[in-house]
Amino acid sequence: MSGTAKITDLAVQVSSGPRWAMVRTHFGIGAFGVNAYVADEPGVAIIGEHDELGTSGTLHEELYFVASGHATFTVNGDEIDAPAGTFVFVRDPAAKRGAIATEAGTAVVIAGGRPGEAFTPSAWERSAPALRYFATQDYDKAIEEFERLRADAPDDPGLLYNLACAESLAGRSADAVGHLSQAVKLDPDFRQLAEKDSDFDPIRTMPEFASAVAGEPDTGSSGA
Amino acid sequence: MTEKAYEVAHLDELDHFPVDEEGLVWRPVRRRLGIRAFGTNAYTAEKEGDRVVEEHFERDGHEELYLVAKGRATFTLGEEEIDASAGTLVYATPGTKRGAVAVEPETTIVAFGAKPGVPHEISGWEGIFVALGYLKKGEEEKGRQAMAVAIAERPNDWQGQYNAACFESLTGNKEAAMAHLQRAIELDPKAREFAQKDTDFDWLRDDPEFPA
Repeated sequence: MSGTAKITDLAVQVSSGPRWAMVRTHFGIGAFGVNAYVADEPGVAIIGEHDELGTSGTLHEELYFVASGHATFTVNGDEIDAPAGTFVFVRDPAAKRGAIATEAGTAVVIAGGRPGEAFTPSAWERSAPALRYFATQDYDKAIEEFERLRADAPDDPGLLYNLACAESLAGRSADAVGHLSQAVKLDPDFRQLAEKDSDFDPIRTMPEFASAVAGEPDTGSSGA
Repeated sequence: MTEKAYEVAHLDELDHFPVDEEGLVWRPVRRRLGIRAFGTNAYTAEKEGDRVVEEHFERDGHEELYLVAKGRATFTLGEEEIDASAGTLVYATPGTKRGAVAVEPETTIVAFGAKPGVPHEISGWEGIFVALGYLKKGEEEKGRQAMAVAIAERPNDWQGQYNAACFESLTGNKEAAMAHLQRAIELDPKAREFAQKDTDFDWLRDDPEFPA
C-alpha cells in the first residue's frame, strides 16, 4: 500500500543507541532494503560498525544518506565528515563502516541491495515486527510475535537471540538462557554481543548464562 | 582498475539537469556514485510552485520511496494530497499515480526505486535525461555526445534513437532527425505513434520524407 510517514515518527527505541525507523517493513517494500536511524543526542553510534560479510552479512551495497543533523562516518579507517545532505555509498561489502552522530536529531537513511540479484529481506530484519514492542517494554507481546516469526524460520539465530533478549527482560530466565544457547551454537558471533548486551543484565549472574554464552551443552532450560 | 570501496558526495555537489518546463531539475545520484543494486536520484525545485516529482505511474513495475531531504513539498499520491516537510517519506506502489510540487524554494527530494523480484536493471532514461538536460542548458554538443553514449549503452532500445531524433529536430538538423526516427521505428513501430503527436517534430511533420 502506498503511504507516508515522518522518519522521526517511525523511529522507535528498541535497544540502547539510536532509534530505528523500520522503513521497509512499515511500507512493505520488497524491491530493496531501506531503514533509517535517529540519534536524539550527539555521540550516539548511529550506524554500528559492521561489514556486509560473514554470517549476518548480506553482500549488499549500502547507500547512507544523512537526512538531518551531522555525523562522522568511518569507512575502512577513513574519517568522513557528513553534514545533512551527504551521501556515503559503500560498494565493497568487506569495507568496515560505522558512523557517530555529532548533533542531536541526526537521521541517517540507509538503502541496500545486492547487485545482479533480486532483493530478499535480510535475516536480521526478520525480528523487526517483534522488536517494535521493545519500545513500549511490552515484552510478552514481543515474545508472542517472535514465536509466530519462528514458525517460518525456526533456526534463525538472530530471531533466537532477540527472543532470548525479550525473555530475559520479561523475567523468563530459563527460556532466555535456552534460546540464547541455541543462538550462540548456530552463530558464535552472538557470544560477543550477548556479553555486552544490557538486555541480559537480569540473567547475567546465572551460571546457566555463562554456559549459554560459552556454547556449552545442556543449559537445563525448556529450549525450543 | 580497482574500484574504490566507497564514494562520498553532498547534495550540493550533484549535477543539475533540467527535465521539463515546470522547473523539475534532475540530480543524478546513482550515476554519480556507481550504485548498481537499486535506483537513486534527487530532484530539486528552484522556486516555490516548481515541480519536484514528475506526475507519473511506474509502468515498469518499480516501487518508489521518496524522501523530502530539504524544504517542503505537496505530494499527490493517488487521490490524496500530502503536505510533506523535510524528513517525510512517501512510498508509492507502481500503480499509484504520484507527483509533487515544491512549497519552498530549493526543495529537494531523494528517490529510491527498484522492481521487486528481479535483479535491478539500470534505467535507460538516465542517459537520455543527461543528453536532453545538456540541450536545455544550451550545451548542444555535450548533449549530442551524451545521446550517442546513451544509444551505445542500449543499442536495441527504440527510446534512445527516438530521443536522438527529438534532439536533432529541436536543433534544426532535419536529416539526422529523420534518420534517428526511422531507426527508432524499425526497432519498435510504436515510435511512429509517438512521433505523430510529438510537438518536437512539428516543423518536420509535413515533409514528405517524415517517416511517421
